[in-house]
Amino acid sequence: MPYLLNNAADQKAMLASIGAASIDELFAMVPAELRLGRPLDVPPALGELALTSHLGDLAAKNDAAGSGVCFLGGGSYDHFVPAVVDFIASRSEFVTSYTPYQPEVSQGNLQAMFEYQTLIAQLTGLDYSNSSLYDGGSAVAEAVLMAMSVNRRPGRVLIAASVHPDYRQILATYLANLDVELVVLQTPGGTLDPETLRTAIDDRTACLLLQQPNFFGCVEKMEVLAKIVHDAGASLVTSVDPISLGLLKRPGDAGADIVVAEGQSLGTPMSFGGPYLGILACREKFLRRMPGRLVGQTVDRSGRRCWVLTLQTREQHIRRDKATSNICTNQALLAVRAAIYLSTMGPTGLAEVANLCLQKAHYAAEQLTKSGRLTLAFPQPMFKEFVVRATDGRVDDLLAKAQAAGIFAGLPLGRWYPELDDCLLVAVTEKRTKEEIDKLVSIVGG
Amino acid sequence: MKLDPKSIQYTSTHEWIHLEDGPGGTKTATVGVSDFAIQALTDLVHIELPELGRTLHAGKPFGEVESVKAVSDLYSPVEGEVVEVNASIAQHLDLMTTDPYGAGWLIKVRVKSGGSQSQLLDHATYKRQCEQAME
Amino acid sequence: MRNTRSTELIFELSKPGCSGAHLPPCDVPLRPVAELIPAEALASKPLPLPELGEPDIVRHFVNLSTLNMSVDTHFYPLGSCTMKYNPKRNERIAAMPGFANLHPYQSDDTIQGMLELLYRSQQMLAEISGLPAVSLQPAAGAQGEFAALLVAAAYFRDKGIKKSVVLIPDGAHGTNPASAVMSGFTTVPVKSTANGLIDLDDLKARLNDGVAVLMITNPNTLGIFETHIAEIAEMVHEVGGLVYLDGANMNAILGITRPGDFGADLMHFNPHKTFSGPHGGGGPGAGPIGVTEKLAPYLPSPIVVKDGGRYRLDYNRPKSIGRVRSFFGNTGVLVRMYSYIRTHGPDGLRRISENAVLNANYLLSRVKHFLPVPQGDRCMHEFVASATRIKADRDISAMDIAKRLLDYGFHAPTVYFPLIVKEAIMVEPTETESKATLDAFAETLERIVTETPEQLHDAPSSAPVSRPDEVRAARQPMLTWKPTAT
Repeated sequence: MPYLLNNAADQKAMLASIGAASIDELFAMVPAELRLGRPLDVPPALGELALTSHLGDLAAKNDAAGSGVCFLGGGSYDHFVPAVVDFIASRSEFVTSYTPYQPEVSQGNLQAMFEYQTLIAQLTGLDYSNSSLYDGGSAVAEAVLMAMSVNRRPGRVLIAASVHPDYRQILATYLANLDVELVVLQTPGGTLDPETLRTAIDDRTACLLLQQPNFFGCVEKMEVLAKIVHDAGASLVTSVDPISLGLLKRPGDAGADIVVAEGQSLGTPMSFGGPYLGILACREKFLRRMPGRLVGQTVDRSGRRCWVLTLQTREQHIRRDKATSNICTNQALLAVRAAIYLSTMGPTGLAEVANLCLQKAHYAAEQLTKSGRLTLAFPQPMFKEFVVRATDGRVDDLLAKAQAAGIFAGLPLGRWYPELDDCLLVAVTEKRTKEEIDKLVSIVGG
Repeated sequence: MKLDPKSIQYTSTHEWIHLEDGPGGTKTATVGVSDFAIQALTDLVHIELPELGRTLHAGKPFGEVESVKAVSDLYSPVEGEVVEVNASIAQHLDLMTTDPYGAGWLIKVRVKSGGSQSQLLDHATYKRQCEQAME
Repeated sequence: MRNTRSTELIFELSKPGCSGAHLPPCDVPLRPVAELIPAEALASKPLPLPELGEPDIVRHFVNLSTLNMSVDTHFYPLGSCTMKYNPKRNERIAAMPGFANLHPYQSDDTIQGMLELLYRSQQMLAEISGLPAVSLQPAAGAQGEFAALLVAAAYFRDKGIKKSVVLIPDGAHGTNPASAVMSGFTTVPVKSTANGLIDLDDLKARLNDGVAVLMITNPNTLGIFETHIAEIAEMVHEVGGLVYLDGANMNAILGITRPGDFGADLMHFNPHKTFSGPHGGGGPGAGPIGVTEKLAPYLPSPIVVKDGGRYRLDYNRPKSIGRVRSFFGNTGVLVRMYSYIRTHGPDGLRRISENAVLNANYLLSRVKHFLPVPQGDRCMHEFVASATRIKADRDISAMDIAKRLLDYGFHAPTVYFPLIVKEAIMVEPTETESKATLDAFAETLERIVTETPEQLHDAPSSAPVSRPDEVRAARQPMLTWKPTAT
């Protein structure tokens, strides 16, 4: 028991102070018939050496993306994480503290959160960011709930089929028991056709949910779509790839009212899907209905600048059943990572990362489709991901061949889109080299 | 406007109401929050009031008032339509504290004739209720 | 030694032309960006992000970190949050490339080790809870509550039973009513007795066919075990309802009693509390849920199943509620949880709870003489003292005491929660603190209650800042830095 500090003498003295004869007596409140009465049936304890080698064995049974070459994307990306991010985010004072309920001894976390909120506002071009949600998918659902509430249009929500299918499913799950019509707008050409939107939107619609670049990697015509949405008195909720903002117009400048994002790309390892970072930013009018923690600047008693959790009346611990969301714990440590990442990259670094992704993805798309065995499913402008179709329909063969060579070639789409069961979604980050791309091409495309 | 707290009526949920004759035989109600309730809420930080034209129902919330760590619903004493909202109050919440029965008023409601109405207390009865709550 | 220059805001430390990034040259033929992306989709000017070199970034954030109290540096008896020691071996294990560098969409045959770990985690949580079916997907306790309530709703809908009410004791965490409303239920509060237990008469009065779920925290937020829990569960089951256990306080009952055995149908775990976190300044956590066999089909997808010797993700679950977050879950937190449970084994898990309860009772025995604990002489893993008397006598509030503790090098307990105790001071020492630390804490508290009100009203005086003006922060929200702001 490496983490207990009291020896038998301590325990004896403590029981004496309590006035109890044994530790067992302290559990008198638990009725005897409800006691387990046997040891738990879990494996025996392991010392640190045995534990480390057991988990090392389990880890070794996985093919880490780092040992192979990863062209998988779809919301989780193999971007480079600078060492400073890991180093700073391993500081005990960030890792082993909690929600800053006592601001006087939590200024480090509070200021880092305030910086994060500012960085996200700068990145998205919107007024406010909260201090994080769980992940990009649940952030979509929270954003839609916020739009329904603020627009007082609780009955109807539009979502493009080009939004991540898992995000769409999360939204459907969140809305399942509320009386709201969730309309999926088809995107057969790879992006949302403005005419499709115009036909579907009405004066009961709370919002349109769009992804930019979308799940297929394509760039949506956001400004045109935003105008249609706003003309109908609805809000545009956009899920973005934060790395793309090194090049693409900020969503706030392109008409988005609420922006959500999966923040994993900003300095967090892929870790088989979590913990990740849910980003949520919005225009002023949504402020009072924002979910999650917010940090605000103020002064202490001697007039020194400092930071506190603020606008807490929105939250569950005060408003309970009328809270804007049930969220309590968020993803603070991942937000700190994002703040360090964005500070390290700065405007030029992020632009360079984005351009490397753009160039390499286009090179890969061009090379992969050169021989004609693969074609581009959606000939649309794209950023770092694209969909290729196997003209012989055999994506499983392709994937198996690539995997045998240590390459994760892409994500098969048939699970979500039956009509795309001969297609792969390929993601190319700045980490992929020409050599790796050429190797992929020689295996699957040539 | 400066009302005498002794001459107006109150709800058990701490709103005050002052009724006046309006145009065409209608009645207009001015609604605010009692000094007692505002003291209990401590430092106010935010208020949400209804937009003009909204229909209110007696005993139902018409807005919210927030302090740093508490939020309280505001309940309409009468049924009717919001005809005026104190536009300066959101930026000057201290008026609710310094002048609760004057510049700190919140909304004016055109009372629906024959509409529902909360049970209203006179000043003495309301004061007794507050004193009991203190104990 | 604190360096205040580097704790200016990062935007104020920015200098044009600096950058901590150094990207490799592009090794594929460069094409003009304008050829690839339509002009209307491209940014017209650089992002307004700060510009700093790496040494400045490190100095800035490292200095910021020193402004925090943390478990590694201080006693952190924050009630309800289980701020126990966070084992370092778990950190190193979670960072192994074989876990940290896995893409969530890798094929099952490339992640057999991860799936084995997750499968075993499902099994271990099932055993610890006595609830046979487990989903590891929810990202936090509150999301676990939400997912479990969606499971309950899906179950009733599937069975054609109309129920719309969730009963919640008045001492419950705020997440309970918030989760219930988000999942489409209406909430009805149930009263507590003076010692924080559910008022059985009030519960009886509220129970009817419309009741879908009773949400209960056991041990409750006062650190008291609901002695009548089996009877309560039976009453709920009699009207066809389900019992939901908020597992926030599992640290008190590991290997002692199991929610499934005392009548719970659904529950969530807080691995960042019970299974050693860490808390990360407010997350990440995780919120796995366990349910009975009849509710298993409705759990979120995917779950890990074992076919022969092979593990796979099962998405083919037609009655599932769907999903509440993307990918599998907060796997990095779950790896730490697995590592923690494996470190302890059956005997060790039980000893966690025994020592958590011993520490709490010991502290209670030291504190109750000068700070009344209304619930009585015994508790489970935490207790709630009240500053009502000292507030009335000497104008010293729970908040004053909390703030003064900071001056003496202790993090404050949770204050003003649960709402059913006035001037509440909620203390949870956890099992990983020594008697010596508990003694020092008790002696400090005793000293504080004899100090002058003035000393306490001005506390803390030795923290990096004094009490912030929260009214100002809320009245004129300043939530981002702006170049013109001062």
